[in-house]
Formats: sequence, C-alpha cells, structure tokens
Amino acid sequence: MSIMSHNGGSVIAMVGKDCVAIASDLRLGNEAMGISSNFQRIFPVSDRIYLGLPGLATDVATLREKFRFRVNMYTIKEEREIKPETFAHLVSSTLYEHRFGPYFIEPVMAGISKTPTGGVKPFIAATDLIGCLNFAKDFVVAGTASDKLYGVAEGLWEPDLEPEDLFETISQTLLNAVDRDAFSGWGALVHVITKDKVITRTLKGRMD
Amino acid sequence: MNSSSIYRPAGFDFSNEIRNNFLHEKGLPLPGATSTGTTIVGCLFKDGIVLGADTRATEGPIVADKNCEKIHYITESIRCCGAGTAADTEFTTALISSNMEMHALQTGRKPRVVTAMTMLKQMLHRYQGHIGAALVLGGVDITGPQLFTIHPHGSTDKLPYVTMGSGSLAAMAMFESSWKPNMEREEALTLVKAAIAAGIFNDLGSGSNVDACIITATGTEMLRNVEMPNQRVQKERDYKFRRGTTAWRKEDIRQLIVQEHTKPVGGDEMDTS
Amino acid sequence: MERIDFDRLKTGEVNLGTSIMAVQFKDGVVIGADSRTTTGSYIANRVTDKLTHVHDRIYCCRSGSAADTQAVADIVHRFLQSEAQEREETPTVHIAASVFQKICYGNKDALSAGIIVAGWDKDVGPSVYNIPLGGGLFRQPWAIGGSGSTYVYGYCDATFKDGWGRDETVEFVKNTLALAMSRDGSSGGVIRMCVITEDSVQRLFVPGNELPRFWEGQEVLGAASKKIGSDVEVVPMAVEV
Repeated sequence: MSIMSHNGGSVIAMVGKDCVAIASDLRLGNEAMGISSNFQRIFPVSDRIYLGLPGLATDVATLREKFRFRVNMYTIKEEREIKPETFAHLVSSTLYEHRFGPYFIEPVMAGISKTPTGGVKPFIAATDLIGCLNFAKDFVVAGTASDKLYGVAEGLWEPDLEPEDLFETISQTLLNAVDRDAFSGWGALVHVITKDKVITRTLKGRMD
Repeated sequence: MNSSSIYRPAGFDFSNEIRNNFLHEKGLPLPGATSTGTTIVGCLFKDGIVLGADTRATEGPIVADKNCEKIHYITESIRCCGAGTAADTEFTTALISSNMEMHALQTGRKPRVVTAMTMLKQMLHRYQGHIGAALVLGGVDITGPQLFTIHPHGSTDKLPYVTMGSGSLAAMAMFESSWKPNMEREEALTLVKAAIAAGIFNDLGSGSNVDACIITATGTEMLRNVEMPNQRVQKERDYKFRRGTTAWRKEDIRQLIVQEHTKPVGGDEMDTS
Repeated sequence: MERIDFDRLKTGEVNLGTSIMAVQFKDGVVIGADSRTTTGSYIANRVTDKLTHVHDRIYCCRSGSAADTQAVADIVHRFLQSEAQEREETPTVHIAASVFQKICYGNKDALSAGIIVAGWDKDVGPSVYNIPLGGGLFRQPWAIGGSGSTYVYGYCDATFKDGWGRDETVEFVKNTLALAMSRDGSSGGVIRMCVITEDSVQRLFVPGNELPRFWEGQEVLGAASKKIGSDVEVVPMAVEV
C-alpha cells in the first residue's frame, strides 16, 4: 500500500478549442473504506486557472492553503493576475523545495490565458510529486486511476473540441476510468473553462 | 503553517522529513518520481559539439510525457542533456544556468564549459548522489569544443563521444562502431541521430522523437524533433460523444464577464425639499 | 596494508576499480595506472586518466570512488596553487601528501579514496606517499593500490630492487600493471604512465594491444611433460585437453 493511494482520488485535464476542462472524482477514503463522497480536490486559483490536487488528503489541504498564500503574495507584489505558465512554475518550485521530504501530491493545472492579440490560449500542465513539469498539448492525468485515465484519454481525446463536446469527452474519460479503480469514484466534478465563463457540473457516477 | 514572513530562506525544505520517515517506517513505500529513462549522447566533431536526446519521460512503466525536452540551456554556447530523476535534471541545470549568467556578468567574459562542469560536479558531490542527475555537458568556449559527462555522485569524464541514461549501451554501440576523429558537421549529426535511434528502438526507457543541438564557435542550432520516427497515424474515425451523453446532477455557471445595466431612477434634479 | 572495501561504495556510484602504482628511482618517480572506470559491470570510460596533476612536479594516482577522489584532488590542487602563490616557492611532495591525508582522515567515514601521491621536490628529491582507505600516510619506495594491486604484491616484492634507472623503473611499472590488469576484472584498457623528474614531466602511453604479455602460456600447465622421481606421474594443476 502506497501513501499516494491512501485516500484515493484522480484528476484529469484536457485541452479543447479556446477552452480547457479539468475534472476529478469526489471520493475520500481511508484505504479501502470510503469516508466522503463530496471531497473537493479541484480549487480555483484565479478566474481562469484551476488546480487539482490528487494524493494524500492532508497534503491537499496544506498545499491548497500554501498556494493560496503564494498566489496572493504574487498578486500583491506584482499587481497583476498570475498567468497559468507562471503558476505552473510556482507549483513546480514549491514542490521541488520539498525534494527531500515531499508532499504526496501530483498536481494538475488547467487554465486559459489571454494573448496580446485578444485571443485566448488554453494551458494544461501536471507535475510529479517533486515538481517535474509536464506541459502536454492534449491531456494530463494524475491520481490512483492515472494509468486507466491514460489509456481511455489516449483513445477518446481529439483536437479542437468545443466546450460542450470537451465536457462529454472528459466526463466519459473520467467516469469510465474510475469505474475500474477501487480507490476513485463516488461521483465526479467537471469544470470547463472558456473565454467568458466557467461551467461546473456535478456528474452522476456509480456509488460503489 | 506558512511562515508569516514573505522572505523565505533559499534551498530545500526538510519539514516533511519526520512525517515521511515515520510513514516509511510503518511500511509504506515512498513513491517514485518521474525519471527520464533516457538515451542522451554527445559527440565531438571538426568544429564543435553535437548533443542528442530522446523525448520520452517515464514514471515506472507508464510513459508520462511523449515529447519532453531533455537538452537544457546553460548559456548560449553551452547546453546540457539530462538523464535520471527528471525534476533533478531540470532544476540543477536551471540553477547552474542562472549561476553561469551571473558569473558571466561579474567577470565580463564569455563563460567556459569547465566552469559549468565544475559548478555541477561540486554541487552533485555535495549532495552525495541524492540529487539523481546524470548529465552530458557540451559547448564551445575560448578553449575550443568541450564535452563532459557528469555522474550523480559528482564524478566527471572528458571524452570525444559520450552516452548516458538507460539507453547508453545501445547508443555507445553506435559510437564505438562508427565514430572517427574530425568528422564533418552533417556526418556527426547523422551519427548522433543513429545513436539516439538505437536507444529509442532498443531501450524500453527511451522513445518517441530525436532532439539534437549543434554547437559551434559561430553559433548554436537547437534542432527540436529533428527525427520523428514514431508519429501516430491519423485516426480513421473518432469517438466523439453526442451532446447530452453524460448525465449530471447540478450545474453552476460562473460568468467571467460582468454585465452592468444602469437604470436611471427619477430626474436629474437635486432633491432640495 | 588495508584492503579496499568496495562495499563502501553506494550502488550506482562510479568506481575506479583500479590498478595504480608509483615507484621512485634515483632521479625521479614513475607513476602508472590502468584506464578503466566502471559502474557495476559497465565500463563507463575505457581511456580514463587516473594520473592527476596537483602541482608542477606532484601527481597523484586515484583509486576508489571517482567522485570522491576527483573532489579531493581538486581541493588539493587549489590548495597547492594558493600555497605556491603565497609562499613564493613550490610546495614539497610531503606537503601535498599531508593535505591529502588530512582530508582523507578527517572525512574517513564519508570517503572511499585510496590515493598514491608521488613527485619530485628540492628537499628530498623523488618521493612516493601512500594514503590508503582509512587516511594513513606512509612514505614508501614503491606503492601499489586499487583492486588490482592485491594480485601483484608478490611480484613487486620479488622484482623491485633499489638503485634502478629510469628505463628499468618504467619497465617494472609497465609489467606490474599489465599483470594486475590481466587478473583483475575491474582493471584494464591501456596503461598510462608519468615520469616525473626535476626537469620534466613525461607522459607515456601503452595501447591495449601492446601490453606486455611475457608471462603468457605459463599460467596454465599443459600435460605433464617430464617425470619427477622414479615413476610417479605428477598430476598437473590444470590440464588442457
């Protein structure tokens, strides 16, 4: 039994056309015993950046506060909103600071940034538990169902999905992957971030 | 939890050590980090250095990144390929790159490859192998082209052709059979590509594409994905779901654009009653 | 003589499982080493230079962990540079060896370094110092070190004579190293040598296909060719059929 799967839980993020989506299950467990079916592990960082923290639940709480603090300090010092790329490096260096005593979290980030020409640029990233960044152009996954998520997403994802289509793809990917993972499931939550709005939906999932 | 000071001391934070060691003693294995089970190479030729790398990052048996960058920037004329723990290679090279820039600014000279090599070996030796970075460092400076390997414990070797990572044996086989002194630029690039390809196809830890970097006295050419022998074929059909496939309980839409309607109430006159 | 304890090396550590040697003669010293560097069973470098310059007429031969010995040699090299600059005279071999010894002894729990320091200085002429694993310091007329050295102590004891000239000493070093490399799997490649005298440091190189092989054909006995005693046929140690 690994520490990473002590509480269970998985997160996935995907890129669409001028939009991104990030989704996770809602289970909190104590090894095999389910504790909560409404454990949120995706947090808004700014209007257009969301952060998913799958891993050990105590570190989910700790890191959530740590990042809130550091993003606030950044915003005050720089007098501007943090960009997704910058935030990814903030996450990465925060985790690497704990290289020799890590937090048991593998963060997943999703956000969109505005380009100088007025368009939007979708952005997703994930890191391992010591902060090695992975900038993918399609999707990133993490958590106890990560290997199943890799497989399903590799088959279902396609480029340039509209927000509503991206919602279906990410939802089906997550739902079908966590159904084959004993430590993830118990409902799911999906955020689709577009240029002008964030759609959050709670999915119907298996409760076993 | 957080220190209230905005100034945090630089360097590593060991505050989780006690907790993690406790968990470890209770029999929970500490999870592994992303490693670049890698093929990286470097090769000397007539007027410079060619560096090469594959682009696969692995997490145990899973391919974590299919197209990552393993040739890191040190200075304009010095580059470094990294194998081993991915985060360590990333942050070690970034730190040395920063220190090299500072050194260049302070001395007013173009920095040398041995300087970067010495910084790296002293840092890695200080951490006694706990920073798992295996590096191939190459570049051109005032003393000419230079090529080194640096092992995680801080030992260095200076050789005309080098390989590192899990695919180093496959790549070294190519060099041992085909390398010769004073090669031309194109000849050297072809050999490096062949060495990386040997790693990609014969080593399970290496895969995807070939990155290369040619450094000469006149300039540096970064060739990202020079060879892409593992392109996915176009899918014949897609798995797009019809809208409404997924059942959901609750929806919450947060509008990011705030609309404001001003409704004037009454006239413009001031109430003087 | 302490044995080199290879268990002290961490797994994955780059190892100089080595044959190194230094011998003094009338006008100087001859130092030599094989060229093999290994990580486990993989040869990471087959043309390594284990003869490391620390000052104009002072060199060291490194064995043990490559990382540790390089770090120590770098520190000593830097120390001798500033020492020479400050005191405006070239440091002696004894000073160099003492600095090596201080570092090796002071950090004996963290280091796996077996070093031979040799060179020429104005005070005593040629000298060879051996600094084995625990950090001791011994002046010797000749010294051998590394994993390969265990195979050739007897050869050195039997062969070495006082009062040799340069060429005889070079031959002795070359032959000893060739013997050590042939028996020790962690040693091999080429032989690198240095002749350090008052006037010069001369590097010598013996390629892997030109190594001495004078002993060959004697280490395995053929069928017994002659009878010893009356009619008892001696059973040879190993018989090639």
